[in-house]
Amino acid sequence: MYIHAGIVLGVIVLVFALARFLKLSTELAMLGAALAGLIVHGLVVPSRELVGAFAWFEVPRHIVDGAFTYFDVVLIFLTATLFMNLLKDAGGVAYIVRGIVRRFHRHRALALLFLTVVMLIPGALTGSGTVTVLVVGALVGTVLAYMGVSEVRVTAIVFMCAAMSAAAPPINLWAMMAAAGSNMPYVGFFLPLGVLSVLGALFSMFYLGWKGTPIDLEQIMTELPKPPRGMRWWKVVVPFVVLFGLIAAGRVWPWAMPVLGLPLMFMIAAAIVVLTNLGQLRLIKVISDTVEQLLPLVGVMVVVGILVQVMALSGARGLISLGIVTMPLVAIFATLFIILPVSEGLIQYAVAPLIGVPLILLFNMKGFNPIIALAGMAAMWPIGDMLPPTSVVGRATVMILGFKGRYYSGFAKTCLVPAAFVLLLGSLFVVFSSRLGFLVGG
Amino acid sequence: MAVMVLYYVITALFTVILVRNFIKTRDVQKGILYLTVLMPFVLRLFRLK
Amino acid sequence: MRLNKEWTIKGIAMAVTGTILVLAGIAFAQHRNFKEEVVLGPGVTTVRTLGDYFAPLKGGPNDANVFILGSGEPGGTMLVLGASHPEEPATSLTAHLLVENATVEQGKLIVVIHSNPSASTVTRPGDAYPRFFHIETDWGVKRFRMGDRWANPLDSWPDPETYVHFPSGQLLAYMDVRNLNRTWPGRANGSLAEQTCYAFMRLIEAEGVDLVIDLHEAELEYPIIGTIVAHQNGLRIAAMASMTLTAEEFRIGMEISPLALHGLSHREIGDHSNAPAFLAETPQPFLDRVRGITDESLLLTGKDEFVMKAGEHGLLYWPIDEDGWPIDVRVGRHCSTILSIAGFWTMFNRSKPLVVTGVPRYADVVAEGVGRFFADPRGARAQVVLE
Repeated sequence: MYIHAGIVLGVIVLVFALARFLKLSTELAMLGAALAGLIVHGLVVPSRELVGAFAWFEVPRHIVDGAFTYFDVVLIFLTATLFMNLLKDAGGVAYIVRGIVRRFHRHRALALLFLTVVMLIPGALTGSGTVTVLVVGALVGTVLAYMGVSEVRVTAIVFMCAAMSAAAPPINLWAMMAAAGSNMPYVGFFLPLGVLSVLGALFSMFYLGWKGTPIDLEQIMTELPKPPRGMRWWKVVVPFVVLFGLIAAGRVWPWAMPVLGLPLMFMIAAAIVVLTNLGQLRLIKVISDTVEQLLPLVGVMVVVGILVQVMALSGARGLISLGIVTMPLVAIFATLFIILPVSEGLIQYAVAPLIGVPLILLFNMKGFNPIIALAGMAAMWPIGDMLPPTSVVGRATVMILGFKGRYYSGFAKTCLVPAAFVLLLGSLFVVFSSRLGFLVGG
Repeated sequence: MAVMVLYYVITALFTVILVRNFIKTRDVQKGILYLTVLMPFVLRLFRLK
Repeated sequence: MRLNKEWTIKGIAMAVTGTILVLAGIAFAQHRNFKEEVVLGPGVTTVRTLGDYFAPLKGGPNDANVFILGSGEPGGTMLVLGASHPEEPATSLTAHLLVENATVEQGKLIVVIHSNPSASTVTRPGDAYPRFFHIETDWGVKRFRMGDRWANPLDSWPDPETYVHFPSGQLLAYMDVRNLNRTWPGRANGSLAEQTCYAFMRLIEAEGVDLVIDLHEAELEYPIIGTIVAHQNGLRIAAMASMTLTAEEFRIGMEISPLALHGLSHREIGDHSNAPAFLAETPQPFLDRVRGITDESLLLTGKDEFVMKAGEHGLLYWPIDEDGWPIDVRVGRHCSTILSIAGFWTMFNRSKPLVVTGVPRYADVVAEGVGRFFADPRGARAQVVLE
């Protein structure tokens, strides 16, 4: 069993590395690795009691079964991003940012505070740091530049806040995937994730953005994109009110309200944006762009599902799980701050089911609070989104802001202190999770 | 039941857009990824999984 | 030229994806539409369906068969629920075995083989479950569906943002709105699983059920394992059953149903009816996250090196060795647990005796194999119900 699982795991790693070397995208490299793993499993599976030879007819079924693993999350992802993109296309996002600048240009602290909130919302709702960068990154970047923050610091702020927005509740994909994998309700995460992500984002924003020059209101107002003529505050507020209203109604009157589910709630909010901006939106283009924009992320979730299925089938998942849960606890604690971001950089969301789940089961068994511990880890993973080979959010940030400096010695180095702050905070949450149980409430 | 029908409508909408983007894309790597993502959408629409 | 190359690759990719979809689609349809054959045993007097107790379920995915084994003699009525979680196959096999073998001398036995039939028509994405499993019998191989923990999304979609349990208001994971052992006592206009539990509560009322046994299996990494979890109304029975089974047949614990944990059968059935509820757990290494190769072999033998290694590191709540936890052992445990609970019910409720015969005990099932107790559906006098 050890040899078999080891062989399959080895093939998966090898094919992934080879495919990356041949310039295949991370998603396709992972797909290739999964398919190779599946075929090798079929070829070399040892003889097993009571069952005959490997049934090759099951191969397509395993691929599609795996592709379904995160289908619910994919739908949430698509609909939430569609909503945010429609709002952006309607000029709602630019309207909010201009409002913040006009109102708070004399109060640097308040301006930074509200910019942090603006940065946190898209990722909190969609679970994706990339969406945050794409929807509000450029606008917030422009404002920060006019506040006298250097280009490299602006890039670092946008990345760090985007990473924290992905960690922020209600939707944290790492926590959702790891919770689902360990039969644990995704309930009680709001406060711990909220504390971690808000502290992380505020620290990043203030540490990197505090020093600068006062805002030149006139200049920045000409520079920021202008919302269309008909844009009014209520057009921005109403979709959010309806969205949060529907979520709240589901909690307040759970048995009177029909079950809508998050995707439909986001679609209703999106429909309101469309209705209040009739004739002004390029609807098909926005949907099409949304799907294209999300392809790497949705793709990676589908592919990770297939990979997880193949690894479960062949015992490779068990081998990894076993390796992790039999490690000494002290060694795990001492290396979490490296293991989590590096693994995220390597295999993206696949870390949640592959590494997160066994760790949670181990922590649970050792008497730690699994919710707090998972929240701590789920805030540390997004930091890895600037690390190779994937560097998804890091690359998006550099691209959107047109950052011309060096990626590692410039941008990544500038992120070091706030990233270390988040990693330390996350590690503390894990180690002292049993004492932080009071945070599990909402 | 009505809500479930709406979910099939949402699934169909994204299926159509995924197919459209697959046809339009010139990048074959993206094309293959579109097809991979399409798999669960298609089988859900056909009520097979 | 470039365009041609692009479309050649795209065309090949489309053909491959199309083939995968067709073959996978066939496999899913085969699984979803497969029916198990149940041969009605000598004790079965009536076969009804859940829809008879709650009309909206009639003809739907969860219109489960309800097998009633009467005696004609007054006594207690026991309801046994199999496959609340169809990924725990020893439970449906035990219920199936009861229907084909049990005879009731006093009182009445009601058996449901698939309590959440919808969940038995889907395997869990990402977990590589086999679609079917097979049991060797005297007359050939008998095939069964392997299922999931949650109802099929094709029958119950979407899930709420957060599942708020009725009536306690406790927040639970969104997908547990499809989990039959999180939706008790149910709701008439709720999700499919909630409606199913609601129908079971109506059945309990209509049939005058005196006690309920909900059969389960658990991973060895899970603390509630190898035990009987009992509602406070059934503590004496559970304690006696646990003691005598441990002394005479196999080790089994006893736990009190937590007061604050809602949606579970052992809590809600007891709270919302007069029937004490018991939940029986057997060990199933197939469900462990650290398991090795996931296939029918592991499902049936319960042998796994990785799970054993986790045990050596003190990470399990239940022992495992080279012999694993074979399906015969797991079914045998459930059979003896049911008989023992019925026996102690009768001891403590002399006016409502419940006497069940024809059911093998643990040692019999282990010695002869569970397949020995399934009748040939092609047999001369076989009356078959499709499950």
